[in-house]
Amino acid sequence: MALIEINQLTFSYPLATKPTLKDISLEIEAGEFVVLCGTSGCGKSTLLKHLKRELTPHGQMSGTIHFNGVALQDLPQREAASQIGYVLQKPELQIVTDKVWHELSFGLENLGYDSMTIRRRVAEMASFFGIQTWFRKNTTDLSGGQKQLLNLASIMVMQPQLLILDEPTSQLDPIAASEFIATLQKLNKELGLTIVLVEHRLEEVYPIADRVIILDAGEIIANDTPIKAATRLRHVDAHHPMLLGLPTPLRVHHALKQSDETPLTIRDGRTWLEKHYEADHKQIQEAEPSGEVVLDVQDVWFRYDRHAEDLIRGLNFQLHQGEFLSIVGGNGTGKSTTLGLITGLLKPHRGKVTIFNKPLKKYAKKDLYQGMISMLPQDPTTLLVEKEAQLELAMMSKDQTAIDRVIDLLQIRHLLAQHPYDLSGGEQQKVALGKVLLKNPKILVLDEPTKGLDGESKQVLARILHDLQRQGTSILMVTHDVEFSAEHATSCAMFFDGEIVAKGTPAAFYSGNHFYTTATNRICRQLFEDVITTEQLIARCQSQQEVMTHV
Amino acid sequence: MSKKVISLIIFFVIIPIGILIGATLLEDGKYNLISMFVMVFSCIPFFLSFERRKPDAREVLIIAVMSAITVAGRAAFAFIPAFKPMTALVAITGFKLGPEAGFLTGAVSAVTSNILFGQGPWTPFQMFTLGILGYIAGLLGKTNWMESKISLLFYGIFSGIMYSMLMDIWTVLSLGNGFSWIVYGSKIITAIPFTITYMISNVIFLWLLTKPIGDKLERLKIKYGVMQTT
Amino acid sequence: MKSLHDFHPLVIFSYFFAVIGLTMFYMHPILLILSFTGATVTSFLLLKKSFLKSIKWLLPFMLVAAILNPLLIHEGETAILYVNEQPITVEAIVYGFAASVMLIAIIFWFSAFNAVMTSDKFLYLFTKVSPAVALLISLTMRLVPLFGHQIKKIMYAQRAIGMDPSSGSVWHRIKAGTRILSILISWALENAIETADSMKARGYGLKGRSTFSLFRFDRLDGIALSGIFILFIIQLLCSYFGWNEFYYYPTFSPIVWDGPMIFMTISYGILVSLPIFIEVLEAFKWRSLKSIN
Ligand SMILES: Nc1ncnc2c1ncn2[C@@H]1O[C@H](COP(=O)(O)OP(=O)(O)OP(=O)(O)O)[C@@H](O)[C@H]1O
Ligand SMILES: Nc1ncnc2c1ncn2[C@@H]1O[C@H](COP(=O)(O)OP(=O)(O)OP(=O)(O)O)[C@@H](O)[C@H]1O
Ligand SMILES: [Mg+2]
Ligand SMILES: [Mg+2]
Repeated sequence: MALIEINQLTFSYPLATKPTLKDISLEIEAGEFVVLCGTSGCGKSTLLKHLKRELTPHGQMSGTIHFNGVALQDLPQREAASQIGYVLQKPELQIVTDKVWHELSFGLENLGYDSMTIRRRVAEMASFFGIQTWFRKNTTDLSGGQKQLLNLASIMVMQPQLLILDEPTSQLDPIAASEFIATLQKLNKELGLTIVLVEHRLEEVYPIADRVIILDAGEIIANDTPIKAATRLRHVDAHHPMLLGLPTPLRVHHALKQSDETPLTIRDGRTWLEKHYEADHKQIQEAEPSGEVVLDVQDVWFRYDRHAEDLIRGLNFQLHQGEFLSIVGGNGTGKSTTLGLITGLLKPHRGKVTIFNKPLKKYAKKDLYQGMISMLPQDPTTLLVEKEAQLELAMMSKDQTAIDRVIDLLQIRHLLAQHPYDLSGGEQQKVALGKVLLKNPKILVLDEPTKGLDGESKQVLARILHDLQRQGTSILMVTHDVEFSAEHATSCAMFFDGEIVAKGTPAAFYSGNHFYTTATNRICRQLFEDVITTEQLIARCQSQQEVMTHV
Repeated sequence: MSKKVISLIIFFVIIPIGILIGATLLEDGKYNLISMFVMVFSCIPFFLSFERRKPDAREVLIIAVMSAITVAGRAAFAFIPAFKPMTALVAITGFKLGPEAGFLTGAVSAVTSNILFGQGPWTPFQMFTLGILGYIAGLLGKTNWMESKISLLFYGIFSGIMYSMLMDIWTVLSLGNGFSWIVYGSKIITAIPFTITYMISNVIFLWLLTKPIGDKLERLKIKYGVMQTT
Repeated sequence: MKSLHDFHPLVIFSYFFAVIGLTMFYMHPILLILSFTGATVTSFLLLKKSFLKSIKWLLPFMLVAAILNPLLIHEGETAILYVNEQPITVEAIVYGFAASVMLIAIIFWFSAFNAVMTSDKFLYLFTKVSPAVALLISLTMRLVPLFGHQIKKIMYAQRAIGMDPSSGSVWHRIKAGTRILSILISWALENAIETADSMKARGYGLKGRSTFSLFRFDRLDGIALSGIFILFIIQLLCSYFGWNEFYYYPTFSPIVWDGPMIFMTISYGILVSLPIFIEVLEAFKWRSLKSIN
């Protein structure tokens, strides 16, 4: 008997014209690690919420769901709460109480366990997740990664059989994300925990899944082992937007049309590549940024609290006209803070920021933020004020043609009448970006613009940024998305210990890193040192294939 | 309905009697102690009914959000004495979510802000005063009176005076002389600038915030179906 | 031995309840001075620097209270001068002074209480009274800093797209400020639903909720609690027998150092100096431990 059995599940939200889930049938065995993926808005979260009774959305539902052979709605309350664990998407919002220890014990309190049991279980989980050192802290003082770990731990104390996670790594830096995934893998392997996970960042989780389910407009289009699911996806539609989201080894293998076994992990990808292709020492030609310097940061120091340590220590860098600089770095190292400093929102206690050869301090606010520099913040909802998305845009500009242009550029016409809070995370991101673009800034500052976006939306964003760049706009972006950064930025930098420790053209920058680099580079660094994007790799391999066929 | 009657009786009958009995029994007139107890005890029926009702998680959270915003609002305007959005925010919660939610938001925001900024003997007074202002707002919200600016103006003025007078009882008692109408009167007169500031800030914040916050709470009620019974 | 901070919340609460309650009740000058001294030393031991900072405004405050009372109250026998044909009496001046000593003692006891009774201890006790409201307070405690953070983010985000709340006339600023508050409230309410879901997903609302805390009641707590209880009962008995009575009007009652008076003074003295004993002993223990190593 399968742990979860879904039979012909169809669901539509109230007032919706089309069902969000269509005739879904699937089984999940105990101990499986299942990854669920699909484009934005295809119904992933909706499906997950159906597995957790307490979260099932209101609407028209037909079909059945069984857990351990019992219909989900007949499951005793206590069992439903403890046996199925659900980690929500935004780590900040799952936390209920103000102390770490209380958060860990919250679920057990609800289940009515006695103090001794709670003490033992909490102690055990805190040790497993390495929470001992911050056990008595306030939950507000935790870093993003710690919050996410706490969320997972506070579900795990309830000893669930099934663990459901909705995009658990979307706010984490690449290293924290892969640590988090490794923890999940450990839970799955060592405790036999069944895991169902939704992700847009598939590079890490896809290979370790036992099974991959691909959803498209509310229907399952593939449900198989990772490799077979990918093949199936290609058969359904050779240009399916989801293909862009698959892990690099698969995409390269598909693109090069080799017929042998598909590599899945970085290691397999590397072996496979070495079998078929030869090393070369061609250099990718990249232009150093050359335009006029539009932003100059000199020896900037900053701290939030007079008594705290400096967070930014001697920061130096320059942004040139038409340059697209992307900054990567760990959670909580001060990237967003840096953006605050260069936009004049925060004041350094030492050092100087110059914009267009004029010190930032000398600008009147209304000149600075009206066309000179604008920022898309990390949290797009901080920009959303109105009751309808279109009013958000209307308040930024009186020029209707400009508004229409932005709407078409971002492809958000169908969202205009909605309440901003009814939009998905990715859609909110687009509306907020629209507001920023309407300011026509000469320097555009973006704080993690790609989070929550699927592969296709990212390409739309990239096109917009390239257009702006061509028109002379300079772009500064902070991101955890190394793939996006490698593919589209003209220069990349690493933020560490309060300053920028390395800056260079993408190929030079990423080929020098070990962890902060793209999956592509990790696969092929032995053969083609400076190749960092999938397109480059495919092109390089194709050129070898051509040579070989000509010989 | 009967629950409401009981709590009304508690407020307007039992508490005054309690104060009287306390004052005559302890002839020395230790009003400060008695009044603190009275304040604490008068909160209990509300807490109990909340406890018994087993409130839904969403309901708990909405009250917590409104309380936290009230506390944050106090901190945000810390630099202008007496000019605070606290009463207005509590009242708006009462208008939209009913008397019980109004009371809880008032009382909880008072305790929490005192946990954060320091407890004092005034904590029970603030709990009760803000609570009862939220409660009254909740009763008023059931009528359709609170839709107009004029009635908001009146409520702002009324709650400013109430707040000032109730809190001044504490100031007088804290002087230790027991309760004396002369001292109380003089306190109320010296507090007039504060009272006026309370009234002005209440009216301003009520005018500016009732509509937008009301709309948001309404939207929540419709979208998620919360708190429709109160 | 353990420091004041390490006692069980129930012990801490009972102690301050007893001391503050009695302080509010006693107008006897000897007892007032005892409580005032105890409060001063305790809050100095617990707060150090910030205590020293806070005493600047005390002297003027006491003077004002000593002057205000005789201007309003004209009881008492010993008039020293007449204002508007109303007598200003020594009794009223002394009473005003005594009342301000009491108020300051209360304030000091409360500041010591605030230093020891951290939010988790307070909530622990509140949980015993009303678990649902305690959870509500705990949630609020978590949300306040979160909102503080978010409101900053909103302000910056708005400014960086040219919607600046911090400039213009006062009216303009109040309006811009409420707009920011309005954005915050949208954010908070919409997200509250998600947090509520997280609570439900972890079984909130099931019957028979238990409460857990890190606090344990050990032998020392038991000893301390019974000590406090006995000393408190003694004081109540003393009041019952009227040993602590003292009148300021029409003129001061005499202070006679008879048996009951001495007994009452000593036992009250022990009560108000308990925290001092505990803190000093603790300091000595650490010093001797250090010197051994
Ligand atoms: N409460 C709701 N009421 C009406 N429609 C909704 C609601 N929640 C989601 N939808 C719609 O249902 C569809 C599926 O949403 P869902 O959140 O499941 O997408 P998703 O696959 O998780 O997307 P993402 O990757 O962006 O998180 C979307 O078109 C969305 O607009
Ligand atoms: N307003 C503030 N007051 C005090 N400390 C702050 C404030 N904002 C951020 N911090 C702290 O400063 C540090 C850096 O924060 P910042 O947001 O700049 O990090 P980040 O590099 O953008 O991280 P992430 O990748 O998670 O977005 C963190 O430890 C954070 O807790
Ligand atoms: Mg989703
Ligand atoms: Mg950031």
